[in-house]
Amino acid sequence: MHELSIAEALIEQVQRELHRAGQQGPVKCLELTVGRLSGVHSPSLRFAFDLISPGTVVEGAKLEIAEAAAVCQCRGCGARQTIEDLVAACPQCGSPEITIAEGRDLLLRGIELEESA
Amino acid sequence: MRIVVAKNILKANDQLAAANRARFETAGVYAVNVVGSPGCGKTTLLEAVFRRLAGRLRPAVIEGDIAGSIDAERIEALGIPVVQINTDGACHLDAMMIASAVGELDLGAVDLLAIENVGNLVCTAGFDLGEHLRLVLLGVTEGDDKVVKYPAIFQGSDALVLTKTDLVAHTNFRVERIAADLRRLAPKAPVFQVSALGGEGIAPLVEWLLAKLPRTGG
Repeated sequence: MHELSIAEALIEQVQRELHRAGQQGPVKCLELTVGRLSGVHSPSLRFAFDLISPGTVVEGAKLEIAEAAAVCQCRGCGARQTIEDLVAACPQCGSPEITIAEGRDLLLRGIELEESA
Repeated sequence: MRIVVAKNILKANDQLAAANRARFETAGVYAVNVVGSPGCGKTTLLEAVFRRLAGRLRPAVIEGDIAGSIDAERIEALGIPVVQINTDGACHLDAMMIASAVGELDLGAVDLLAIENVGNLVCTAGFDLGEHLRLVLLGVTEGDDKVVKYPAIFQGSDALVLTKTDLVAHTNFRVERIAADLRRLAPKAPVFQVSALGGEGIAPLVEWLLAKLPRTGG
């Protein structure tokens, strides 16, 4: 259950951000972006989050999850292109001198707080 | 009210892994992350490698398991320092677990640190531990389609060790197929064929490993 430890890391990050902003919550929504090659399975992340969020500042918060494509950058021909799966060579020119430029991250983009009275 | 964050949650592990790597380098320790399915022969391979290495350098082991200390006891029986991590259900080791386990070892007395990961071909792929080298093991009884089915773990590894090759005649495993699939994903990774119980194929793997170590190799 890989996403359980990721959900823990996410909640810890939210707690740090709230502390930094001098806010107490409650949190209404977390905006996330899951990269295509991040190894994070969104439904499992939601499941893990619902399991461990009760009793924390994010209890009851909604997860708004966007998907980000994976992007391969070639140092040979300079092509920058979207890929569906892991590749070992540039789909354009075949060079192995590539880097996966995007799509490996799980990004916490923003935290939306409940309007306090 | 909205707080803008833009932080990569998975980065925390990468930063800790980088800190682990720096700590290893300062202490002159070469770290190897050993990954593969449950039962592929990770501990048996380590035992065979250590027997072969005997006296040539000072190894230590971190054993990652969901529960128990069976593997750690096997390593201990060889007289090698070992720390057992129990992940309490987690399917992989992460850099934080390694950072705390390393505190149990006298790094000054270690040249080669083998980290035996939890048996898993999926989740272990996503977590850098701070190792210098990742070895992925595959038993020939697991089937020759595994590189295609679990690309991430193979792509990120520095070598593939095929284990239990003495059994290959009893299976439909094709070494050429796995080697060809690996070439597409990890063109630089060599393939070693071993049968660790009998010790076959261990010597070339050990020589390759020694050549990677800054103290004994290039």
